[in-house]
Amino acid sequence: MSPLSETGILGPAGVLLTAPLIGFAFGWFLERGGLGDARKLAGQFYFTDLTVFKVLFSALLTAMLGAFWLDRFGLLDLELVYLPETFVLPQAAGGVLFGAGFLVGGLCPGTSCVAAAAGRIDGLGIIGGMLLGVAGFNAAFDWIAPFYDSTALGAVTFTDMAGISRGAGVALVTAIALAGFAVASRLERQRP
Amino acid sequence: MIPVHRALATLAATLALAAALVDARPAIDAATLAAEIEQDRDHISAPELAERIMRRDPDLRLFDLRSREDYEAFHIPSASHATLDELARTTFPRQASIVLYSEGSAHAAQAWVLLRLRGVRKVYFLREGVYEWIARVREPRLAVDATPGERAEFERAVALSRFFGGMARTSVPRSEVPDGYWTGTASRDVPSRAAQAIANVRRRGC
Repeated sequence: MSPLSETGILGPAGVLLTAPLIGFAFGWFLERGGLGDARKLAGQFYFTDLTVFKVLFSALLTAMLGAFWLDRFGLLDLELVYLPETFVLPQAAGGVLFGAGFLVGGLCPGTSCVAAAAGRIDGLGIIGGMLLGVAGFNAAFDWIAPFYDSTALGAVTFTDMAGISRGAGVALVTAIALAGFAVASRLERQRP
Repeated sequence: MIPVHRALATLAATLALAAALVDARPAIDAATLAAEIEQDRDHISAPELAERIMRRDPDLRLFDLRSREDYEAFHIPSASHATLDELARTTFPRQASIVLYSEGSAHAAQAWVLLRLRGVRKVYFLREGVYEWIARVREPRLAVDATPGERAEFERAVALSRFFGGMARTSVPRSEVPDGYWTGTASRDVPSRAAQAIANVRRRGC
């Protein structure tokens, strides 16, 4: 029965050992998917290279379908899987900031580590900027805190909010992703 | 499209469609349950339950959630004994109307939430548990200084009491008529009063 970290099968030492393994695997697949290249990533915003969209949505679909069916067959208890809380406005602002940084630097936090590990200078630069940002956020936290905690909705899922079943949500997201893949392929063919 | 991509897309679409089919019913959210509780749609009164048992309602399923010994000692006619675990795993027909009772109301209310979350639609519980059954159906009491409203209710209760082999009592001192007895509003120390009431039922030996 999983999640192995929550049901105690792995134990604290097991969790600590597994985390870097998953991290390395994540980085390796990002690099193999071509996501260590800032030009490739920035191409996302000009619709010339939609690799990011395709890689991340493939991962999302695999995880979503896997989690749904493992839960259904009693191999995973979705109730034990950590669900981050929603804060509408601060998370929307964070998303905009993240996107702007992504566009300017050409890399996101995960891919900047991948780029740095692959020996790219720009990756190291982005990691430095990210650490500066973290320090700045902490220094200014008292001032940001009221906004940071505003518009809280708690741990909600879009299926609960829409009043539809999890299964219907899975089908909807899959349909959107598959349609997205088809459109992405077409756009890439038009703009080589 | 590369054949591998086509195969993967087909697999994803099949799994997603199957997901929608096996899990078509929306999850019940906390707000819906809270509204049902606020609007008193979560419980049934003992006389209402008695009338449904009397007319042999085919959809009624009655469950006693107390211990097996308590159930053997006394239970509402037609009730089956069940534990929370058994209830959680039982499947009910769509039209089934499930009534739960326990010692007081806590256990039955927990079972109510459990069944509603599982998507069972018609679930109710006795607010004061087995005590409410004894006080309002088996052994209704009419105070010496009863109001006209209480007298009218009592006539209905006498018929029920006779049907279920109980004994109605009239002209009892007001102090022997429990709080909230006619209104069915919740009162304190229900479990201890339930034990006392059951002991009295058994002592009479009928």
